[in-house]
Order: sequence, then structure tokens, then C-alpha cells
Amino acid sequence: MTEAAIRLDRVSKSFALDNGKQLTALSEIDLTIGKGEFVALLGPSGCGKSTILRLAAALETPSTGRVSIEGREPQSLSKAHRLGVAFQDHALLPWLDIFANVALPFQVAGRKVDPSRVNELIALVGLEGFEKARSRQLSGGMRQRASIARALALQPNVLLLDEPFGALDAVTRRQMNLELQRIWSAQQITTLLVTHSVDEALFLADRVIVMSGRPGRIIRDIKIPFARPRLPSVMREPGFHALVDELTMALEPELAAP
Amino acid sequence: MSSVKTFFSRYWGIIGILVLWQAWVSISGLNAIVLPSPLSVVSDLAANPGIYASSAGKTFLVAVLGLTFGLLAGIVLALAAWTSRLLNGLLTPLGLIFSSIPVVALIPILARLLGYDIRTEIAIVAIAAFFPTFVFVGAGLQSLPAGSDDLFKVLGSSPWQRFLRLVMPAAVPNMMVALRLTAPEAVLAAILAELLMGTSGLGYMFREAAGRFAMERAFGTSIIATITAVIVFGLVMAAERRVDAHWK
Amino acid sequence: MILRSEAMHRLVLGAVGVGLFLFIWQLVGTYRLAGMTWPPLSDVLIFISDPARQTLFVRAMGASFTSVAIGYVLGIFCGVAVAMLGQVLPVARPGLDRLVAVIHAVPLVALAPIFMVLANRDLTPPAISALGVFYMIYVATTSGLKAATHSHRDVFSALGANAATRFFRLELPAALPALVSGMKLAIPVAFIGAIVGEWFGASRGLGLLMVSAMQNFQIPLLWSAVLIVTTASLALFGLMSLVERLIYGRFR
Repeated sequence: MTEAAIRLDRVSKSFALDNGKQLTALSEIDLTIGKGEFVALLGPSGCGKSTILRLAAALETPSTGRVSIEGREPQSLSKAHRLGVAFQDHALLPWLDIFANVALPFQVAGRKVDPSRVNELIALVGLEGFEKARSRQLSGGMRQRASIARALALQPNVLLLDEPFGALDAVTRRQMNLELQRIWSAQQITTLLVTHSVDEALFLADRVIVMSGRPGRIIRDIKIPFARPRLPSVMREPGFHALVDELTMALEPELAAP
Repeated sequence: MSSVKTFFSRYWGIIGILVLWQAWVSISGLNAIVLPSPLSVVSDLAANPGIYASSAGKTFLVAVLGLTFGLLAGIVLALAAWTSRLLNGLLTPLGLIFSSIPVVALIPILARLLGYDIRTEIAIVAIAAFFPTFVFVGAGLQSLPAGSDDLFKVLGSSPWQRFLRLVMPAAVPNMMVALRLTAPEAVLAAILAELLMGTSGLGYMFREAAGRFAMERAFGTSIIATITAVIVFGLVMAAERRVDAHWK
Repeated sequence: MILRSEAMHRLVLGAVGVGLFLFIWQLVGTYRLAGMTWPPLSDVLIFISDPARQTLFVRAMGASFTSVAIGYVLGIFCGVAVAMLGQVLPVARPGLDRLVAVIHAVPLVALAPIFMVLANRDLTPPAISALGVFYMIYVATTSGLKAATHSHRDVFSALGANAATRFFRLELPAALPALVSGMKLAIPVAFIGAIVGEWFGASRGLGLLMVSAMQNFQIPLLWSAVLIVTTASLALFGLMSLVERLIYGRFR
């Protein structure tokens, strides 16, 4: 049996609120993601999808159950600098230029910066020529590209993306989806993408996991049949539209009622 | 039990200092002229409440009056500067300069200029409070959203209404912050003025005690000065809360 | 650097304002409009530049500026160190905050007796100066160390950064703008501390000159000492403002 890349075993997560009550973000989540799979977590706000990502990123620990990445605790991968993350807030360091930002994981890991690798990544995400720019000089889309390049710097085992394009306008977002597909195809890293855009999930992922909220539960797990590499034209196919409808209904069951 | 823990976790520093102080005095057997023990200071305080209270009261009065005058003057001038771009351009840099110099340096000049009496002390505090208030309230008025004055004009409100409904709600919270910023300085300025040239008040009391090496009295004055400063600050914070609740 | 006409306009008006102030000073002084105790600016400047007084002023400046310098540097060092201590030992933080707040609540003048008895009188000016600066820098640094956002911290955590790496690569650079602002605002505080300290009986310095000139009706000397202190404080403040502008440009 191949080692699952990311695995959540009967995971629940509760948070203690200020008023003493408990908020159950996740309830009995079972999820297995294989090596090289691109999985999208789709769901409305507050359904706990970001929590799953944070558990995988070793930013939270489960209240019950077990989270493992390649059989190990997320913590150990994080300490071994084998995780790549990109958030909706690009979180680039404003006092460093783009090159230094992308090179940051090397320095955090205490390794010598590999300039050719950094330049290769900057070119990969399409930011060639902007190595010396500061993040405030770039547009939102460009900053996210830099953020993704940084996530890939040390060739992580797992790539965790939390609504990386959530703050972008629709046009830029479409472009970024294409870019991400292109970037991902180069290395096919195990990727977990959190999003609330159905189009985005369907276009990018091998599997789409639909979640419902409060407490977070997995309600659908759909394999996406479209061949890779996916062209923008796939979004006009009837099969695509059908899946969009299916997923939208799954997200908003009230609409399905007659 | 946990409240004792909380108290200790917050105040261990202060308690530690008091303990060290007492220990030092006891162990080294220093003469009271050099360093009095905390106990002797407290007993001097307890034995002479009248003297301390009247001095503190006088300093408090000077500080509060000076603050009031300085604040009002700062606000009036800031409003005047706001209405005239020319005045604004001329006065604001001056205000900035004067609010960033050590105001205490001006005390000797003002003392000589205006004479050695209580009105000078009040004037000194007023000047210390005036400049930061002017700069701060001026900045607050400047930050009014650009179109709002026009909006009010279009809506047909009279200048007085504009003043009440537009300017005041913007300016008043800023005034409170200016008050909070200048209040500690005000107490210090009052005490320093008394120290240099006063004939009453905590500053004078300190100078008089230090002059005859009555260190318990000197330390006692320091403690009362601190308490006075804390009281003034507390009043200011309370005023700020009331005003915020009303105007925000 | 191109100045827009608006900024140019403000600069010119500001210069005119300052010029007007100096002109009024000169006027009031020349015609004795405020009595004998307000000399014209020209008199004060002549007094300062009189070669016979060089040693007097140079010695006083030397003493006072040394106090300011020591107080400033010491205050910054201690302020940053204690703030870092609070960062590294979060359990100590509430106690530290209260302790620092209490020390600050004590008006500088009330601390004087402590220094007078514990140290020789010439140590009082740098000590009081250092205390004032310490408080400003402590507040600025503690506030600055919180400047790094949640997302930044999360990225560092996920990348597997240890506490030291996070401190030197994230929290410290993120704190720099606040720290530099604090350093700017601490300059007049440093001067105030030194002057007030001298009033408590230092053996030399500009503050001492001020007080004795005041008491002995030596008007030009009084104004000269005040002018020197004020100008020095302003000049350094202006310098730090430029540094602040630079740092904000780079670090924000």
C-alpha cells in the first residue's frame, strides 16, 4: 500500500471560545490524499476547511484523532522544512525584495541559498525581472505568485494553499488558476487547496472534497474526470457545467429542494 | 488563591524594589541623611498629612489650571488655523518645533520674563500643554474627510450647525488624546516650576527639604508627587472615557 | 525627488512662519517690548559667539551633551533589552509592564532624591535622561514586536522556523519602524532629563548655567543657554525624522 501523502484519521477539532463555550470546527473527519494528488477542499465560510489545512501545516493540533503526512506528524515535517504554504494574505516580508522573499525558506532552514533554484522558481511563476522589486510595488496577483514561489523553494513534500486567490479580482483569479496549473504540472507535488470557488476547484483538482459547516463534515468526495493538462476550454464543456451544478447544489442544499 | 497569584505576577517588580530598599538600609546601616528607609519615609508622611496635603493641593491646582488654559488655547488656535490655510501653513511648523523641544528649558526664561509667582507657574504649565494640543488637534482637524464640509454646505446647514455636527465630533476625541498626552508633562512642569522659583507646592517643598538634608521629607514629597500625577492621569482617563462615550 | 507644488507651498509657508517668529523676537527684543528680560535675537547670538565665552560654553555643552548622549544610548539599550526580555519570557511580561509603568508615573523630578543619595551628583543628569529614554523605548519596542502579523507568523511556523530565527528574521525587522519612531521621540526626553538632572546640583552644564543665570539676572547668558539646548535638540530631532522616513520607506 502506498503511503498516503496526507491522512486525517477520525479528526475532530474544537476551540474554546472567550465565553467558555466550545466551538466544534471539525467533526470526525476521515480524509486520505495520495502522493501527487491535487485535492480541493470546497465549502462555505466557516465549514472548517481552513482548519484542516492548518492541521496539516502543523499550525494546530487535533482535539481527537490523528493527522499524518507521509506517515509522520505534521510537526516533524514542518521542523524538517518539508512543508510549503501560501495563504490568502501573501505574507511577503515588506523589507525584502522578491528574490530574498523567495529565498527565505533556505535561510529559515539554515541552508545556503541556492540562487539558481530561486531564479528558476521566480521564472516559473512568471516574475522574471522583478527580483529586486519590493512587494508593495507589485500587484495582488504578482504577490501571490511570489508567495507560491516561496512555498515551492525547498521542494516540499506537500503544498498547502489556503484561498491564495481569494483577494484577487475575478479576471486575475482566472489567470492565476491557469498559472497554478502550469506551475503544478512541472512538479506535481501533493497539493491541498482550500477554496470557495467551484470553478477553481474543478479546474485545478484531481478530487474535490465538499464540506458542510458547523461542525465541519465531509459530504461529497468527487473524482474529477478531465484529462491533464487542462485547457481553459474545458470550462465550456457540458461535463464541466454539470459538475458545477452538482457541486453548487451540494454546497447549498436549500436550492435543491423543490 | 489565583487572585493572589495574579497580584504577585503583576506587582513582583514593585514589591521587590521595596524589599530591596528596606534591606539595603537595614543591612548597610546607612545614615538617614544618605538614604532613609521606606518605613521612616512612610512615618514622615503619616506624621505630617497637613503639610503634604496642602502642598499637593497647590501643585494639583497649578497643574489643572495650566492644563485647562493650555488645552483651550491650543484648541482655539487649532480651529483658527484650520479655517485659514495661510495661518495653518505659517503656524503648524512653528507648533511642531515648539512641541518637540524640551519645554522645561523654557522655564527659567519664563520665570525671569513673567516674574516669580504662581501665575507664572500656571503659565508655564499652560505653555507646556499648548503646543502638543495645537499640533495634535490641528492634525485631527486636517484629517476630516475631504468632501464632508461641502456635503454639509450642500445640505444647507448653517455654519454653527456645521461646527457642531462636523467639526466637534472630529475634534473632541482628539482633544482628549491631546489631554492624555500632555497631562503627565503638566504635573512635571508644575513641580519643576515650583522647584526653581516657587514658594509653595511640592516642588518648593522638595527643594526646602533637600536643602536641609531632610531626606525622609524629600522622599515623601516624591511619593506624594507621584500620587498626584497618578490622580491627574486618572481624572484625565475618566474624562476621556466620558467624552468618548458621548461623542463617538 | 520632485516636490509637488502643494508640498512646496507648505514648505515655503513654514519657512516664512519660522522667519516671522524670529523677526518678531528681534523686534520685541530691540524695542524692549517685553521688558529687559527679553533680549533681541542678535544680542543673544553675539553673546554666544563672543570668543571670550568660548571656554564657558564649550565646557557646559560638553558636560550636558555628554549626559544626553550617555542617557540616550543607555536608555535605548536598556529599553530594547527589557522589551526583549518580556518577549522571551512572556510570563514576566505583566510584572515588567507594571514596573515600568510605575517608574514612568513617578515624575522625573521625584526620582532625583534617589539619584542624589545613591550616586554622585554628576551622575544624576545621565541617569534621569536614561530613565526617560528607557520608558519611551520600552513602550515603542514592545509595541513594535507585536507588529508582525498572524499570517507572517504562520508562514514562519509552517516553514519550521525556531524561536531565534523567527525573532531575528521576522519580529525584529518588523519592530524597527516603531523602534525608530520611539528613538526620535526620545530625543527631547533625553534633553529634558539631562537638564532637570543638572538642576539638582551638577557641577557644570547648560542646565546649571540656565538656573544660575536666571537667579543672577544674567539675561543674555540665560537665553544663550536655552537657545543652545533647544537648537541641539531640534537638530537631532530633525535628523532622526529623516532616519525615520528612511526606515519607514524600507521596512513597511
